Amino acid sequence: MSPVRAIVLTGFGLNCDYETDYSLRLAGAESRRVHINELIKGTGSRSAESLDHYHILVFGGGFSWADDHGAGVIFASKIKFNIGKEVERFIQQGKLVIGICNGFQALVNMGLLPGFEGNHTDRRVALVPNDSGNFIDTWVNLRVNPKSPCIFTRGVSCIELPVRHGEGKFYAPAKDLERLFDSNQVVLQYADENGNEAGGKWPANPNGSLGDIAGICDSTGRIFGLMPHPEAFHHFTNHPDWVRKREELAHRGKKIEKKEGEGIKIFRNAVEYVREKFNLDPPN
Amino acid sequence: MVQRLEIGIKKGLADAEGANVRKKAREYFGLSVEDVRVVRVLTIDADLSKEELEAARVKIFTNPVTEESAFGTLARDFDWLIWVGYRPGVRDTAGSTAVEAIEDLLKKKFSAGESIYTSKIFAIKGDLSRQDALTISREILANDIIQQWKVFSKAEWDPGVGIGYIVPKVVLNHEPKVTTIAISSDEELKEISAERNLALQETDIPIIREYFLREDIRKERRKYGLDLPTDVELEYISQARSDHCNHNTFKGLFRYRDLSTGREEVVNNLFKSCIEEPTLQIKERKNWVVSVLWDNAGVARFDANNYYTITGETHNSPSNMEAYGGALTGIVGIYRDPMGTGKGSKLILGMYCYCVGPRNYAGELKPHLHPRRLLDGVIEGVKDGGNKSGVPTPFGQVLFDESYLGKCLVFVTAVGIMPSQVQGQSSHIKTTTPGDVIVMSGGRVGKDGIHGVTAASETFSEHTPAGHVQIGDPYTQKKMHDFLLEARDEGLIAFITDNGGGGLSSSVGESARFSNGCKVDLDKVPLKYEGLDQWEIWISESQERMTIAVKPEHLGRFMELSEKHGVESTVIGEYNDSGYLRLDYNGKTCALVTMDFLQSDFPQWEFDAEWVPPEMRGLKEPVLSEPRDHGKLLKAMLSRPNLCSKNWIPRQYDHEVQGGSVIKPLVGKGRDMPSDAVVLRPVLDSSRGIAVTQALNPFYSKIDTYHMTAITIDEAVRKILVVGGDPHHLGGVDNFCWPTIKFDPVDNPDGRYKAAQLVRSNWALKDYCLAYGIPLLSGKDSMYVDGNLEGPFGERRKVSGLPTFLFTVSSVVEDTEKCVTMDAKFPGDLVYVIGKTRNELGGSECYQMMGEVGLNVPRIEVEKLWPLYLGLHEAIKEGLVASAHAVGRGGLGVHLAMVAMGGDLGMDIDLEKVPGAKLLSPARLLYSESGGRIVVTVNPKNKEAFETIFAHLPVAMVGKTTARPTFRISNHDSSPIIEESIFALKEYWKKPFGNLV
Repeated sequence: MSPVRAIVLTGFGLNCDYETDYSLRLAGAESRRVHINELIKGTGSRSAESLDHYHILVFGGGFSWADDHGAGVIFASKIKFNIGKEVERFIQQGKLVIGICNGFQALVNMGLLPGFEGNHTDRRVALVPNDSGNFIDTWVNLRVNPKSPCIFTRGVSCIELPVRHGEGKFYAPAKDLERLFDSNQVVLQYADENGNEAGGKWPANPNGSLGDIAGICDSTGRIFGLMPHPEAFHHFTNHPDWVRKREELAHRGKKIEKKEGEGIKIFRNAVEYVREKFNLDPPN
Repeated sequence: MVQRLEIGIKKGLADAEGANVRKKAREYFGLSVEDVRVVRVLTIDADLSKEELEAARVKIFTNPVTEESAFGTLARDFDWLIWVGYRPGVRDTAGSTAVEAIEDLLKKKFSAGESIYTSKIFAIKGDLSRQDALTISREILANDIIQQWKVFSKAEWDPGVGIGYIVPKVVLNHEPKVTTIAISSDEELKEISAERNLALQETDIPIIREYFLREDIRKERRKYGLDLPTDVELEYISQARSDHCNHNTFKGLFRYRDLSTGREEVVNNLFKSCIEEPTLQIKERKNWVVSVLWDNAGVARFDANNYYTITGETHNSPSNMEAYGGALTGIVGIYRDPMGTGKGSKLILGMYCYCVGPRNYAGELKPHLHPRRLLDGVIEGVKDGGNKSGVPTPFGQVLFDESYLGKCLVFVTAVGIMPSQVQGQSSHIKTTTPGDVIVMSGGRVGKDGIHGVTAASETFSEHTPAGHVQIGDPYTQKKMHDFLLEARDEGLIAFITDNGGGGLSSSVGESARFSNGCKVDLDKVPLKYEGLDQWEIWISESQERMTIAVKPEHLGRFMELSEKHGVESTVIGEYNDSGYLRLDYNGKTCALVTMDFLQSDFPQWEFDAEWVPPEMRGLKEPVLSEPRDHGKLLKAMLSRPNLCSKNWIPRQYDHEVQGGSVIKPLVGKGRDMPSDAVVLRPVLDSSRGIAVTQALNPFYSKIDTYHMTAITIDEAVRKILVVGGDPHHLGGVDNFCWPTIKFDPVDNPDGRYKAAQLVRSNWALKDYCLAYGIPLLSGKDSMYVDGNLEGPFGERRKVSGLPTFLFTVSSVVEDTEKCVTMDAKFPGDLVYVIGKTRNELGGSECYQMMGEVGLNVPRIEVEKLWPLYLGLHEAIKEGLVASAHAVGRGGLGVHLAMVAMGGDLGMDIDLEKVPGAKLLSPARLLYSESGGRIVVTVNPKNKEAFETIFAHLPVAMVGKTTARPTFRISNHDSSPIIEESIFALKEYWKKPFGNLV
């Protein structure tokens, strides 16, 4: 009788909580949107607002604290200085953390990523303003590093997702960048239509990220951060070309069969991992 | 002690913000700026220890990977240094989030008066004069209405002192005071009104005096220690009677005279006759219309369990003064309307439309802001306001015309959704009841927006607030939005409305009508700073505030939720049934006005309207021969600013947040063609969708505003139908922006003509809404679209905006999986033109390009078009349509090319087959802007089924799409008159704004 439970943070300007919560439920989790203040208040208690209650912790997209002092900066300090220890215990228990867009920015500012040597407090990498100097909403092609330990991208080799950010350029000093590649912590890279690395070139690489990096994980693969939005591709009609695809199939006398969006795979991987690891019930 | 923390990007790392400044300085002014580095400054005016400050610096504000910081000076190696900070009283969101972060880190609260102020330093390298540095400050970095700046040359800079410690704290040193106003004669009150900027309507003055002199009123007033009217009362009445709040123009009496026929007609109340009556008629036969004409937004049924809410307005004058802040405040402000509709709705979509002068304007007039800077600022304002609100902004348009140099137009539109039932009660119904407490939630009250622009002429001192300009704060509002939805779902909201124009005076004044009375303690209203007079508290337009009626038994839970969300909520009074609106300050009554006074018979505004038909104005069809180079003409058309690609704008707007995006703003193979309309699924587990679009065609106003309005409505209808919208569910929102219509022999000599234009536009609105069955779910009028611009000789020239009518149409799409986009899909698909082309190039883009206006404005005959639209809807539902696109500005030539470019496919078109071709030359067929037309591509195997639907209607197959990427137009079997590569055409279409990001 125990489902896989996911918690999606809300409040203080976060804004992708509804669709992230929906995507997790599609993927088989029992998901809840919980306000950051409620989580801080509830953590350690026996209530459903306590972090212990959950298996998957989601730092979602949005403009937490208006992104005024660097995207995700205050979001990170709020979590770190209030329930930092509890989050650390959550990780030690083998549970999963995903940060999407603003959530990814928060994870690197908390120091949960890249988590070199299991250090979860030092800032080692950064997400800085896009080279264009402006916010951009565009769909990108992503290639997945097959050697990455990332739980969330298992069985995925490439995926299309939208990016929607002003501060998504991945930056790390050269030696740390090298280390991320060497340890296969680089999970997602911006790519061209054929799945080749974007080589830093716009528009395939929409923000100038070093190494075309769109997402990284820690060495265990259980903490994952990415700029693109998997929850924004939960249904086939989210894809910018879906009408064209429908018409192409119609020419061949066929119909679109799979209605679920590709982004759900990311969440389903998480749910399945947790179910197996914690020996939980399969969905009905 | 005041501390200054400076944070900059490490040497050797790119500075994207600095690079942007450099780019603008070079592009706008040709300045040889080599490098710009930005330093963020936090001026901390709080009692913090050295250790505490250091903790904040290291643990929060400095990213060790990319940034360096110091309590001191960072900038070095520059030629010029510019510091830019806010003026006192201007909303500094970053300052308040910094306080929040430090309080949370140190677990201690800032005391009253302690604060953090943010500002920026720009360290500039380059061979620049002081004049150049001043230009950069004034024209790129700062707007003197809200910001202050200092310029340092390298020689003037003392690194030990740096910029110093500038604390833009508001210190008013003013004891709040209620003043009574003498009313011994109409003249006296009129004089005082002018002196105090009360802006009382002249015709209202006798009514106001009569009221305050009535014996029964005076007797009642004496009981509360009142006699003569107070400034609080007169300010309240003035607000409530303003054109903005009361729509006096639209409710006015028009004496309309047609100068060609001499026919005269009295038109009483345009709102009532052309908006309210037709809408109520249509509501009778459309059961999806839920609630219209009274609330902050219209309410319509989305599905069995949900309603959608929609409204639109403009924020023209503030944007014209301060483009970024004005537009940001506009979009954030319109979002409060659905939030304050019924018991409150969740925001799901925003739209924008900007009308500005030409981006490269190089004429001799000097607008307050150059259109390029104005447009950049407006785009950025809506970007920050919309994106940070967490609401997708998927649809919008820009229109360039010199007439908007006088005043720009910034339209913003919002859509929300709410469950049809909240705790067993209908969500669209709300009321106040005696005993309900009055709660104000969200931001605090300052001098913002008091007396609008009149305050702009006041001189600034170091500590006077820059009051009249409001900078919206989407962060504070988003928190409030999330809080209110939770409170609504728990059934804690009895009534809710926003604080916009008129502030509390309007929100409380109007909500108290339901209970028939209220008492407010003005001293309980939380203020940004001390020293506001009572009347200022009452009418301030400080943003991000809602007024809510809460039952006493729900107050505890309401406040608990407010605290959870980090939102300030304050009980400021109580609703009652006393029949009076009463305001107290520290226990002393300062206003007492009967609730029914504002409903009493104030004199109606009156206008003379004189219509001069276009022929009488000397308009005629131009004399033009058939062009020899059709290819060149098409390319020139595609490069016109009002037709070419403006993709840099939608790409900056998050159009997918909330996860329901179905038809996006940019579609096609290259994802770069503007969509006719957008569709989204607000309920994620349902395939039902909402479609929205907008249209505007002010150029036809030069000929006849009646037909301008008609074709604008028709175009919006077609744009919604081509994506799959339902012809039986068309909701409308009318937004009028008009120049001043009150005749004045000196200041407005053509006022009577402009008044007639307004009447004719409204007549068309009524006729076509009835014909199409469109209820006006919401709407707004914004008058006074004029500006007096300085000319080259120091003279001022009046520039009036074209009469502009933006029409929004919303629809519900039953099955979004059947939606259609405008791009051609497959080579070999058949191209159809639905609807007849006529000789209607009057006001067209083609004539404009040739310096002409013309006479033959497009005319709309709904009875002929409606069967076509029903046919299209059927064809889309049957899955017979591969692409569909409404033909609008630019005509068939432009729009066939758009469909082809959308698919990266060629097209082979025989013009002779186009319905209506027999009577028209190729140029007229290609560039006429007749309404009612749609270009459709169809899979050949659906040919028969498609043609059966349109049997006997003016619909014809005119060619097909081709794999060879050539756009080919011929006239019967002659050699092609156009034969151009689709990619070359696209290049022309993208060129004008192609380098903007």
